[in-house]
Amino acid sequence: MRDFAQKWTAFPEWSEAELLRDGWRARVVPGLSQTLVSGALDKAWAQLGPEGAEVGLWQIASPETPYRVRIARDRALLVSPEAMAFDPGWHADGWAATVADNSYAVLELEGSETRNVVSEATTADLDAGSPSAATLFAGLQSVLLYRTAEARVRLHVESGYLPYLWRWLETRPE
Amino acid sequence: MQRFPCPFCGLRDETEFHYGGEAGNDRPEPAAEVSDQGWAEYLHIETNPKGRSREIWVHMTCGEFFLLERDTVTHEVFASESLRRAAP
Ligand SMILES: [Zn+2]
Repeated sequence: MRDFAQKWTAFPEWSEAELLRDGWRARVVPGLSQTLVSGALDKAWAQLGPEGAEVGLWQIASPETPYRVRIARDRALLVSPEAMAFDPGWHADGWAATVADNSYAVLELEGSETRNVVSEATTADLDAGSPSAATLFAGLQSVLLYRTAEARVRLHVESGYLPYLWRWLETRPE
Repeated sequence: MQRFPCPFCGLRDETEFHYGGEAGNDRPEPAAEVSDQGWAEYLHIETNPKGRSREIWVHMTCGEFFLLERDTVTHEVFASESLRRAAP
């Protein structure tokens, strides 16, 4: 009988996975609280708490505190290093909050070469920026791309695509 | 490479967008009363103008649908306008 397990991309133990390359390295950021917020965002933020700045493409967030990654006109991902207290589901004033802790895997790339690696994966104009952090990245349709320091990048990728994106980074020619 | 302006995100590469059809080609209603000829025109007959055109596009990464006015010969973009309605 054919072993169908063989056709899936092999992947490492994420908690220990690390790529060390000339001028950049990559790892998976575990344990972040992620909440997908959709609908009337102004009403949502009034309920969820005003703390946390909003970041778009290539903008710099402060990772020690909660922040909002803008995806679309009516959608953002609320990210926090600590668990967040909120009522999930639909809210009568026009917005919804969805637990997304495991929906997105978070990759961190760091080092002086990071920008070159990112530039190979996306056509977005990093210097021009964009209100939305979502972009086509290494062929994946909607990856969230922003920074947490000048030369440190965070990528939120749908969890199922993490093995592919990891292999893309791993096998990228130096 | 061509770049389109998403009304929300700004300029992005064309590879992030998907064509949705010619603007104004509205689906005929009510469906039960539409003739075969009417369906065929809606589904298959394009104006396909050479020059200035009005088209529906969607920005795949953010989901915004918008009206794009562009020139199909020179690729010049004249306007892009969100098709979203304000919440009631
Ligand atoms: Zn957009």
